Amino acid sequence: MRNLVILIMSIMTLSGFGQNVVKKKNEQVATPKQKQVMKIVNFDQLQTVLKKNDNKLYVLNFWATWCKPCVDELPGFMEVNKSFRSNPHFKMILVSMDIALEFDSGVKSFIAKNKIEPDVYLLDDNKRMNEWIPAVDKQWSGAIPATVFYRNGKKLEFKEGKMEKRELVQIINKYL
Amino acid sequence: MKRIRFILSALLFLAIATQVNGQKMKKHMENSGYKIGDSATDFRLKNVDGNMVSLVDYTDAKGFIVIFTCNHCPYAKAYQDRIIALNDKYAGLGYPVIAINPNDPKVEPTDSYEGMQQRAKEKGFTFPYLFDDGQKVFPQYGATKTPHVFVLQKKNGKNIVRYIGAIDDNYANANDVSHKYVEAAVDALLANQPIAQTTTVAIGCSIKAQKN
Repeated sequence: MRNLVILIMSIMTLSGFGQNVVKKKNEQVATPKQKQVMKIVNFDQLQTVLKKNDNKLYVLNFWATWCKPCVDELPGFMEVNKSFRSNPHFKMILVSMDIALEFDSGVKSFIAKNKIEPDVYLLDDNKRMNEWIPAVDKQWSGAIPATVFYRNGKKLEFKEGKMEKRELVQIINKYL
Repeated sequence: MKRIRFILSALLFLAIATQVNGQKMKKHMENSGYKIGDSATDFRLKNVDGNMVSLVDYTDAKGFIVIFTCNHCPYAKAYQDRIIALNDKYAGLGYPVIAINPNDPKVEPTDSYEGMQQRAKEKGFTFPYLFDDGQKVFPQYGATKTPHVFVLQKKNGKNIVRYIGAIDDNYANANDVSHKYVEAAVDALLANQPIAQTTTVAIGCSIKAQKN
C-alpha cells in the first residue's frame, strides 16, 4: 500500500515536472525573439555583419525617422519580418541614416513607439558616403529608402525607393 | 509527347521574354537622366518672386550650379547656408546658383510654393528658388534626391553637364569638410582644367512624387 502511494506520488511529481517542461518549451516557441541589437556603427562594422558566411539571407533597409516614404513602408517590412523571423536563414536589419547625436533621443524612442523588432544599426559614416554608397550598389543614387539583399557576403538584389510588401515577399521567397 | 513539347516551348518562350524584358528595364533605369558631357535642357520655372526664370536669361553666365533642393529635407536644410555661400562666391565669377524644388506639395505639403517663398525670405536666398510645377524638369536631369547638384558649363549655346552629385563630403558638419566637390568642379572649369571628380554620391531625401 505504502509502495503504491509512493508510486502514485512519484508519477504525479514526474508528470507535473513534465508539464512544466512542456509549458516552458511552448513559451519559447511563442516568443522566439532574440535580444534586439541597437548600436551605432561605421561602414566597416556594418560590412562584417554582411560578410558573414552563415547562409542567412540578410535584408537591409536603409531608412531614417524623418524620411516619410521610409516610415510609410516600415509597417509592411515589420509584417514580413514577423512571418519570416522564425526561419533561421532569414535576418532583417534596419540601417538608420539619422544623425548619431539623435540615436538615444530620436531613434530609440521611435523604435519603441513603433514596435520595431529587427536589429537597428545607425550608420555613422558621413564623410565616406561617396565610398560606401557605391559599395552597397553601383546604381544607388543615395536616395532613401533603399533595400539590399545579401547572403554569404554576396549581394543578391538592390532596390532604391519605396517597396511594397508583396514585392519584398517575392524577393525573399526567391532566395529562401 | 506533342503536348510536352508544346509546354516546353511555351516555357522557353516565357523565360526568354521575361529575360529580355528584365534587360530592357535595367537598361532604362541605367539610362535615365544625364551623364557627364550631356547637354542639359533649359526650362521656364516660376521663382519665389513670381517671375519666370530660364537659363537662357543669363546672357553673361559661363555656366550654372543647378541644385535640386527643398524645404523639408534635413539634408537640404543642413546645406542651405552652404548653398548661399556658393552663390556668393561663384555668381560673380559667372556660375550662379539656380535652386529648384522638385517635390510635389500634395505629397510633401512643406514643399509648397508658399513654403518656398517663406523659406527664401527667412534665409535671405540670394539666388532664384524655382518651383518644378508639374515635375517635368527633374526627371529629365535624372535628379533623384535633395540636395542633388548639376554643374553646367555653357558651350556653343548649350549647357553641358560637367559635374553631378553632392555639395561636399559632410552634410552634418560644415566645419569638418575635407572635399568641397562642387567648388572643386567650378574652380576647375574656371581654370580650364579637367574636373578631378565628376560624380559623387551622398544620402539624400528621395524626390516626392505621387506615384512614389
